[in-house]
Amino acid sequence: MNKYIQNLRFLICSISAAILLLSCEKVIDLKLDNEKPIIVIEATVSNINENHLVRISKTIPFEQKTSFNGVKGAQVTLKSSAGTSVSFTEISDGVYRSPQLRGTPGLTYTLDVLSEGKIYSAKSTMPNPVNLDSVGFKTISFFGNSNIYPMVYYTDPPKVQNQYRNILKINGKLQGDIVFEDRFNDGNAVSDVIIYDGDDDLKPGDIVEVEMQSIDRNVFKYFFALSQIGGNGGPPVAPSNPETNFNNGALGIFNACAKSTKSVVLK
Amino acid sequence: MHFTKNVALISILLLLCCFNSKAQENYTINGVVKDSLSGETLIGVTLKFTATTQTGTSTNAYGFYSYKLNSGEYNLSVSYVGYRSINRKISINSDIRLDLNLMPENILEEVVISSEKRNDNVVNAQMGVAKINLSEIRNVPVLFGERDVLKTLQLLPGIKSAGEGNSGFYVRGGSTDQNLILLDEAPVYNASHLLGFFSTFNSDAIKDVSVFKGGMPAQYGGRLSSVLDIRMNDGNKKEFTAEGGIGLISSRLKVEGPLIKDKSSFMISGRRTYADAFLALSKDSSINKNTLYFYDLNAKVNYQIDDKNTLYLSGYFGRDELGLSETFGFDWGNATSTLRWNHLYSNRLFSNTSLIYSNYNYVIQNFLEENNFKVNSSIRDLNLKQDFQLALNNSHNIRFGLDLIHHTISPGNLTASATSSVNEITIQKRKGSEIAAYISDEWELNDRLNLVYGLRANSFYLFGPGNFPTFDVDGNTTSSREYSSGQLVKSYFNLEPRISASYQLNDISSLKSSYTRNTQNLHLMSNSTAGSPTDLYIMNSNNVKPEIADQIALGYFRNFNNDNYEFSTELYFKEMQNQIDYRSGTDLRGNRNVEADLLFGDGRAYGIEFFIKKRYGKLNGWLGYTLSKTERKFNGIDFGQWFNSKQDRTHDLSLVGIYKASKRWTLSSTFVFNTGNAVTYPAGKYQLNNKTVYYYPERNSDRLPNYHRLDLAATLESKPGNKLQSSWSFGIYNLYNRQNAFSIDFRDDPNDASRTQAVQTTLFGIIPSVTWNFKF
Repeated sequence: MNKYIQNLRFLICSISAAILLLSCEKVIDLKLDNEKPIIVIEATVSNINENHLVRISKTIPFEQKTSFNGVKGAQVTLKSSAGTSVSFTEISDGVYRSPQLRGTPGLTYTLDVLSEGKIYSAKSTMPNPVNLDSVGFKTISFFGNSNIYPMVYYTDPPKVQNQYRNILKINGKLQGDIVFEDRFNDGNAVSDVIIYDGDDDLKPGDIVEVEMQSIDRNVFKYFFALSQIGGNGGPPVAPSNPETNFNNGALGIFNACAKSTKSVVLK
Repeated sequence: MHFTKNVALISILLLLCCFNSKAQENYTINGVVKDSLSGETLIGVTLKFTATTQTGTSTNAYGFYSYKLNSGEYNLSVSYVGYRSINRKISINSDIRLDLNLMPENILEEVVISSEKRNDNVVNAQMGVAKINLSEIRNVPVLFGERDVLKTLQLLPGIKSAGEGNSGFYVRGGSTDQNLILLDEAPVYNASHLLGFFSTFNSDAIKDVSVFKGGMPAQYGGRLSSVLDIRMNDGNKKEFTAEGGIGLISSRLKVEGPLIKDKSSFMISGRRTYADAFLALSKDSSINKNTLYFYDLNAKVNYQIDDKNTLYLSGYFGRDELGLSETFGFDWGNATSTLRWNHLYSNRLFSNTSLIYSNYNYVIQNFLEENNFKVNSSIRDLNLKQDFQLALNNSHNIRFGLDLIHHTISPGNLTASATSSVNEITIQKRKGSEIAAYISDEWELNDRLNLVYGLRANSFYLFGPGNFPTFDVDGNTTSSREYSSGQLVKSYFNLEPRISASYQLNDISSLKSSYTRNTQNLHLMSNSTAGSPTDLYIMNSNNVKPEIADQIALGYFRNFNNDNYEFSTELYFKEMQNQIDYRSGTDLRGNRNVEADLLFGDGRAYGIEFFIKKRYGKLNGWLGYTLSKTERKFNGIDFGQWFNSKQDRTHDLSLVGIYKASKRWTLSSTFVFNTGNAVTYPAGKYQLNNKTVYYYPERNSDRLPNYHRLDLAATLESKPGNKLQSSWSFGIYNLYNRQNAFSIDFRDDPNDASRTQAVQTTLFGIIPSVTWNFKF
């Protein structure tokens, strides 16, 4: 449901473009100031028995070729409120891996990163898992374009505030990363269309993989704020850095989540 | 307790005034000034009485004037733009009722002999006010050839357009919700159609437009930055006429006439767009089932019971509809109606009582089976105003009254069918009242010094029923209390002094200054850059305090060349408190606890405005220029530093020229230039889950490119003499097709994912338009 409100600007712009046939987009040359590099920490820990990854990098100037500017030699430690503690090992520049472990829903995890003499710390509480019942498909037409979109079916736990993140991959390639919450459908059997912003259209034979994460409120607000800048929550908001759960001026997010993944082939 | 204070204040003022009366016999002259052809009352007509000195007054919003003069002989001169002046000798030796009828004249005729001075812009103590002449609006070119009051107002200094595709306007650094827009005294909440492309004011139905940017008199209140007072035509009392136009995007029709000749008349005016007619032509069913239209209806009826009593009933209904075939629907609109009673208690005490209803609502519908829903949101006002105007003596004109308004805000009523996965929710309604009492005095101290000073006392009450949580500075709920229906939750009281003075240096120039305090109890929730019809209002509460603005202004006014040119410059400084902004990630849609997501801070704005206008002649027009700055400061944004407001535009220039080329051709042109909005650009980038994310430094430290545009219009009138008069208007918007930036966004280069690029979106390039107008 949120998607339709989310796409209001898209709708309005399409309509104005259609009646006016006039709005134009063009690429322009902008001289942007560049701030000194700032550390970015992207960390996930889940309830799946796997190696969890932490990516540490630094911001790069706008004009530079987009790349992962990994930060070497950091010390990464994960603690849980149950008292366990593990260290991550650097496996390549800026990428740190934990041993295989399974996170426990309900526990609060703390991630500490020591890099270049500063400690950056974040807390995230892993929510209870919500299972994806199945993945289906739906065809929707917007202004003459008919597209197939994946649909997720799940049951939202009643009387609990739930936040979700759907990561959509088509044929192994990332096509969508969308967050939503249960404000309007708490406790219901939900069937929701994923209107993704990736470029690839779904066609028969494609393998669709949906990873539905249950995320905590701070992580949800972070990703939601990020999507608002692009106009996903309605008309675009003034851009600013989303509120992170890391301290000390780090960018990025620490996400302790419960995952449920389903993979289907579009017939 | 507060009201006793007011009563005391009023008594003191009245006593003071009485002591100032002169010893000679004085009498009252009063009456109504009307248009001699249509019987419409005329607002703001200047009446000057010259004996050894010159004094004067002007007609009020109902064409009524009342003035006290010492006995003696006077030369009376009555003047009003667009009408032939009247000059006559009068003897004042008793109370006189003098009604006047002014003959319309072509405003572009050169005024060769002008024995009377048209310098009320210099003499009046009122500063910070701009009046738009409706005949000027007819000639100024605008988008799609649609004459538009709001867009023409934005060509004056100090009033800035919020941008293309954006409803609203900014006055002296204020935000769009700080403008009080009144249509026949009813507040209009969303003054635009189709997201700002058109305003909701059909200029055919309008008689008078005044905008106060500063120095607001005490009878107005409720918003910080401006008051836009729009009065509708009453309706031709003498004959039936119809007027309208057929354009590319919309058409309009106005019908008016007498119900009882010279006593009662009506006016109905409507407008509809048919942009979706073009969509219906498509063969594609996902296009031709879409709807996109708006309509407007203005209606008014009036009845003059007798010399002392007149009744008016006016209404406005407008709606926008946007629909995406069978998937999605969105509509919004205003409905207002005003019932007014003018009563003359005596020849010098005029009273107006108004009962007003105003409603703004929007509906969003999703028709898709699995998650169908319908959301309904509204704000509804009931308003009672009582205004008295008393010509106390020859140097004091007192105005006092009461303004009571009750708001009911329904932030969201969500209904869904049983099979929908969406739950039905009702977000609690909120009810509140604003009660204001005001008094002001227009005091002619002497030949040179005029003063308008007054006080407005404003109290606000928030009522239950409902659950009212209190939040701390981080947005956490610290307590929550349940209130029953009608129980008082929170109240606020503010005093708003208003002072304005003009000192005449000589006949053609003056210095003016003013200080005003304004408070605002309603706040528009909008965190998007462009604003949206889904933005809704909240009132003050246990978490939200009234916004307060203090403004001082200083001005120099001078007329040249026999009042043919008018020049003014105003310097202003404004400080604002309790301004509202939002935490990062705030989702305003259907947000039950929006107050937890609010941040509170301060604002300041200052600038200097220049205005020069040539009033008469084949070529006339004006030039307005503003140099200004507006900033905000919030804990929680940029570490509490001052940052530029989005609407901070250093330079703002408008040039309007109207040229009467021949008896039938009129050419006009508009040139606007302004510094781009303050925006936030990235200062770096990084990767998150393989997507590029931008790093932003301080808010609004960058600028969009400068905006400028030239419009042209040409109007060809039909040959005079026929009963049916018509004209063709041709227009070109954005003549040199400048690609002005509506927004600049950043994205990965679609051809090379490793590069990021800046993309500029332009809304309007060059747009020609044709309209055929008729009148009979």
